[in-house]
Amino acid sequence: MAQVLLEAGLMFAVLALAGTLARRVGQSVIPFYVIAGILMSPYVLGTLDIGPIAGLTVADYALAAEEHITLLAELGIVFLLFFLGLEFSLDRLLASKEKIGKAGTLDLLVNLPLGVVVGLALGWSLLEAFVLGGIVYISSSAVITKSLIDLGWIANAEAEPMLGTLVYEDLFIAFYLAVVSAVLLGGGEFAEIAVNVGTAMVFLLVLVGAVYLGGEYFEQFLDVDSQELFVLRAVAITVFVAGFALAIGVSEAVAAFFIGMGFSSTDHLHDLEHRLIPLRDVFAAVFFFWIGLNTDPAVFPAVAGIIAVLVVVTTPSKLLSGFLSGRIYGLDDRRNVRVGCGMVTRGEFSLIIAAIASSAVGRGPILTEVVPAVAVGYVLVMSILGTMLMQYSGYLERFVVESEPSTAAAD
Amino acid sequence: MTVYESDLPGVGKKFEVEIGDDERLVIVIHNTGKREVFHRVGEADSEKLFDLSDRLARQVGSILEGAHFQPVKSDTTETMLDGDSLLEWVNVAEGSDIVGKTLDELDFRNETGASVVSIQRDDTTESNPGPETVIQAGDTLIILGPREACREVEGLAAEVDEPESAIESGVIDELADDDTDA
Repeated sequence: MAQVLLEAGLMFAVLALAGTLARRVGQSVIPFYVIAGILMSPYVLGTLDIGPIAGLTVADYALAAEEHITLLAELGIVFLLFFLGLEFSLDRLLASKEKIGKAGTLDLLVNLPLGVVVGLALGWSLLEAFVLGGIVYISSSAVITKSLIDLGWIANAEAEPMLGTLVYEDLFIAFYLAVVSAVLLGGGEFAEIAVNVGTAMVFLLVLVGAVYLGGEYFEQFLDVDSQELFVLRAVAITVFVAGFALAIGVSEAVAAFFIGMGFSSTDHLHDLEHRLIPLRDVFAAVFFFWIGLNTDPAVFPAVAGIIAVLVVVTTPSKLLSGFLSGRIYGLDDRRNVRVGCGMVTRGEFSLIIAAIASSAVGRGPILTEVVPAVAVGYVLVMSILGTMLMQYSGYLERFVVESEPSTAAAD
Repeated sequence: MTVYESDLPGVGKKFEVEIGDDERLVIVIHNTGKREVFHRVGEADSEKLFDLSDRLARQVGSILEGAHFQPVKSDTTETMLDGDSLLEWVNVAEGSDIVGKTLDELDFRNETGASVVSIQRDDTTESNPGPETVIQAGDTLIILGPREACREVEGLAAEVDEPESAIESGVIDELADDDTDA
């Protein structure tokens, strides 16, 4: 008991420190949480042989991804996706379906196949390459949105194609996760895979149907005159359905996404956002930390080449697809450069895909060891690179402004 | 004036208000309740002016609207309903002509064009007062009608023989008029 509480306290203290540090240097918190996890893991802190502090050797302070931390991390995935669903507006997607559809499809067609090609070129199987494709395709909603707010771009025209593309990616990733987790966590034969994917789709359809047709019931479910009961009920339904989904072999993340989407049209939207954000922030931080705990930095040298290739190949591809997305929205080229810079950041979803891959036991070391290590290294680089590109987009903007004097004059 | 509204998924909502000369006020309302206010000229970047918490934004909003409910001593409090109609709070002065008369006798609606929708007396509010209601000094009449009509009732409710008060209410009228012009 004392040990568990001490470990939890230690973990949160380190997370708070990492978050403070990230803020101090003006970077996204995600890489800092992951690095904090790596540093506290048995692979780093656990190997230090330094004398006792307060009765325990330094190595005794190392944290492992034990069950209680894994549970909190799992809740992090669930709440991350729940909020994604809550913010995901089908109405919005339909309202500007043409622009979002074009920009989102362009982004998908440029970036997903690129990851698959790199995977195949490495001699990986199609499935492994497809997982890599997902990891390099999906931009980070959390980091990009936060940077948009921090830089004040949120009030500018470039925010629209960026948020629109993120909405498209979010919907795509929900189906991607459903398929990938059904394939990875289920059996190996094609027929079995088809059954798993089918089960997942049926379950999700039932869920979506229940949430939409029983909208009134959901409305009443949260209609309680007590903050405490409101939060408890919201957490109960989200975690229970997510847990049930996982138990029958469907992605818990996707189940949480659809529950969030169901609540997005009720009157409780605002209260849910207001009251559950602290829960999401705490558990999501633990999730990134947990990713770090599972990462042995000793594997980085072996995958550094792959990470380097991915960074070199997928940074320009997002810049290009973002730039063209801006054109679809009819923006000037200076803003299009910003859209490109903004989409470079990868983050939480790439790590969620990696987490699913790492739990695909019996599927070979590429999925369970190489892909997660590549994803962690890749996200560490891309989240910092992406944030920097946004901060210093002015340097890149100059290239297009010089070649287009008319744009410069307009500003 | 046109207001453009758009959703910002994961953030909140954005409102762009045209304020003339190719300028826009951009207001971002975050899901957390925070408001950020930006100013943008033409196609240039938006420049952030300030941000407010939910609570503060509501207070500033009611001040901008002209209907602040803080206990600020003022002769008139009014709320614009549309282009010309006002909902106005009028204090009845001690020496006013209308003190001691019933609403029926005064016949505000025909005389001025404004109707008395409710009367606040001490701590009670009588909504929809009947024609036999007698107006007393110190009452607050809540009246509804075109700006001109409201001004007229204000004049009637003011003290008749006190020049200072007349000047005061004149100044307030002037301010109110300036408001309309702007």
